[in-house]
Amino acid sequence: MVAAIKRVPGIVYVLVALIMGFGWFIPGFFTVSNFLSVIRQGSVLAVVSLGATLAILSRGVNLSLGGVMSLAGVVTGVLMHRGWSIMAAILVGMATATAAGWLTGIVIAGAGIAPFVVTLGMMSVGEGLALVISGGASVPGFSNAFQVLGQGYLLRVPIPFWIAVMAFLIVHFILRDTQLGVSIYAVGGNEDAASLSGVDVRRCKLQIYLIGGILAGVAGVVLASRMNSAHPSGGMGFEFDAIAATVVGGTPMSGGRGGVVGTMVGAAIISIMRNGLNMLGLPTPWQMTIIGMIIIGSIALDALKSNR
Amino acid sequence: MERAVLEMHQITKQFPGVLALDKVDFDLYPGEVHILLGENGAGKSTLMKTLAGAHEPDSGTIVVDGREVRIRNPKQAQALGISIIYQEFTLIPYLTVAQNIFLAREPLRWGMRGLVDRDRLYADSTAILKTLGISVDPRSVVSTLGVAQQQLVEVAKALSLNARILIMDEPTATLSDQEIEQLFGIIHNLKSRGVGVIYISHRLQEVGQIGDRVTVLRDGRSVGTYNVADVDINTLIKLMVGREVMEKADRRSLPNAPEALRVSHLHRNGVLHDVNLVVREGEIVGLAGLVGSGRTELARAIFGIDPFDSGEIVLLGKRLVATNPSLSIRLGLGLLPEDRKSDGLALILPVKDNVTHASLTRLFPSFILDFRKERAIAERYVRDLRIATPNIFRQVGFLSGGNQQKVVLAKWLATQSRVLIFDEPTRGIDVGAKAEVHDFMRQLARQGVAILMISSDLPEIVSMSDRVYVMREGTIVKELEGEDINQETIIGYAMGKGEGQ
Ligand SMILES: Nc1ncnc2c1ncn2[C@@H]1O[C@H](COP(=O)(O)OP(=O)(O)OP(=O)(O)O)[C@@H](O)[C@H]1O
Ligand SMILES: [Mg+2]
Repeated sequence: MVAAIKRVPGIVYVLVALIMGFGWFIPGFFTVSNFLSVIRQGSVLAVVSLGATLAILSRGVNLSLGGVMSLAGVVTGVLMHRGWSIMAAILVGMATATAAGWLTGIVIAGAGIAPFVVTLGMMSVGEGLALVISGGASVPGFSNAFQVLGQGYLLRVPIPFWIAVMAFLIVHFILRDTQLGVSIYAVGGNEDAASLSGVDVRRCKLQIYLIGGILAGVAGVVLASRMNSAHPSGGMGFEFDAIAATVVGGTPMSGGRGGVVGTMVGAAIISIMRNGLNMLGLPTPWQMTIIGMIIIGSIALDALKSNR
Repeated sequence: MERAVLEMHQITKQFPGVLALDKVDFDLYPGEVHILLGENGAGKSTLMKTLAGAHEPDSGTIVVDGREVRIRNPKQAQALGISIIYQEFTLIPYLTVAQNIFLAREPLRWGMRGLVDRDRLYADSTAILKTLGISVDPRSVVSTLGVAQQQLVEVAKALSLNARILIMDEPTATLSDQEIEQLFGIIHNLKSRGVGVIYISHRLQEVGQIGDRVTVLRDGRSVGTYNVADVDINTLIKLMVGREVMEKADRRSLPNAPEALRVSHLHRNGVLHDVNLVVREGEIVGLAGLVGSGRTELARAIFGIDPFDSGEIVLLGKRLVATNPSLSIRLGLGLLPEDRKSDGLALILPVKDNVTHASLTRLFPSFILDFRKERAIAERYVRDLRIATPNIFRQVGFLSGGNQQKVVLAKWLATQSRVLIFDEPTRGIDVGAKAEVHDFMRQLARQGVAILMISSDLPEIVSMSDRVYVMREGTIVKELEGEDINQETIIGYAMGKGEGQ
């Protein structure tokens, strides 16, 4: 954890440099409306990234987050179209995501199968079910009351931002102040040793992926509200951006150290990157290329640092 | 007599291909230190793991305080008042000392399940470390501590449980004499409080120092339990190994042999200063000194793991002002590292691969493996070093601690380097095997290999070395030859006596 705190300033410089750089080159980057739009987009990524970080800290990985996001959004959207109340629809959408997370956790913890394999499968299950439930098309057009969640403001700040802050505070609290938090670091640091010390490794893993499901659910619902449309592949790719945010934020894939403070900065970097490259008019394939290079670069940097 | 706090009857444990425990009986009384001896792979750690909830025995009964119990996991062991310091490290590298001490038993805030009270976590850890006289900051991250400090943290962790049965599996293997004294003080204190201690060690002199009773295991069977007062060390060795172990010291003097390694004026800021030494072909040179005197640091600098600021190394005629490990290996230098647990082995790979890993390019310069040759080499070292494994295809992680160490040793011997640096070559290795390792080293020397041997085991230094350098505070303070090589003289220079004369 100390290592992560030491590293945070480093990436904060990157973040500031990025903002200054884009601001210099792109007219309209430093406008309030652009700023607010980055915050709205970045907040969704921030929420999913929290889930990705939990898995990576325990030396696992969660590839199912994007698929589960799509699923939660589509379930909520379809139910609202059927005339369900907003509350009930959101609750069922969240419950679906939670159940998906729980199932993932059960298989990983109970059967001892590698998280990579299980979550890869669950990614497919999530996307598949989202397509089935939506009939393959996006589910557009919701009531104003629902759209507030993704587009509204509270104290002049976009509501998704407040949701992300809440999620961050909760996960940060879990990691710092609960036995689960210590167990996550312990399992990531040395699973056998943790188990011999009496840590309930299975329960810890179950909880990690359960919380991941909940966070994906929140992100999926907010995304649907922001877009005013639930798309069956709306969450696609978020799992990778979330991993990128985690790694850029100083939590190595080998687990055991790091934390969500860095992940939040990482999520900001990725979001601003996307926004800036978009405004520069760079086509999506090039954006992917550049973001991929950033991920490799930050992993390489981490490796170089720890090998010294 | 008081009632035994622990009785184990007819404990049997079978692993694939190995009968690790065969109807073993063992008991422990409050306030006694019961020592468990046996060769590498005899089953000592396995017996203790059945108590700690890491393995369940196939058959047999365990009775704690007169009640028969089944111990299925570490939590249940803790609840019964059983605490263990494992032979392998069980600390979590990136957690703090305090988090490690209380792992899975954190003090709770407001008594709420799952909420850690961090203030009390650090306060309680500080208190525990203080009562044990261990000067480690509870807030420091474990991976930043040295090996000995980590071991002391393991001790603190085990003691924080207020256990009535404390198991120590080779606790002193990584400690210096001073820290061992400290540990023995702690053990005496525990005894007076009625704690029963089970103590495993390969350092036989410790039997007399702290033991009350001793049980010897051989090939998974108990060959007897004795009062320490009634047996002598030679009897114990015979019981352990099943034969007599003879070590004959013979010292050679080779002042005219060509120099294999020369280190001149080596300097590394704050660590080493003005180190000068020579090792000749065919010589075994001992490097003695207290823990922390810079011996390991010197080895690392010579091999090229750590850089040095000034000075020069001449290795087999090549003059070097900077080194790195791959260059060193290519030029014919090998280093058996001190910290074998983390540096030496690929635990999930078979014995065979681990033995040949460091010499693949030498053995197969065309990059095409010859499995028959690879097997032959692995089999030869398994036989020569008497590595207890059912076959060379067994994963190294399944071998006993001492046998894992022998595999690391085999790995470096297989490189056939012409200059070898051994850092504590026989730590954690049983008496019988120790004699074989010594013989093997002597054979290598006879073939012209130059050996620099770091050891904290003074009898080993005295019996093995042709010449001895004594290190203190980062530099070599004395070179000893012939009759001058004896324990008293070495200790004297290592502690800084005889200075200013
Ligand atoms: N998990 C395991 N799977 C398979 N075999 C094992 C396992 N653990 C131990 N063994 C085998 O059981 C035997 C006893 O091992 P154990 O670790 O108890 O030895 P030990 O007496 O502690 O030796 P040392 O002094 O080297 O630590 C060895 O042959 C070892 O290879
Ligand atoms: Mg052992």
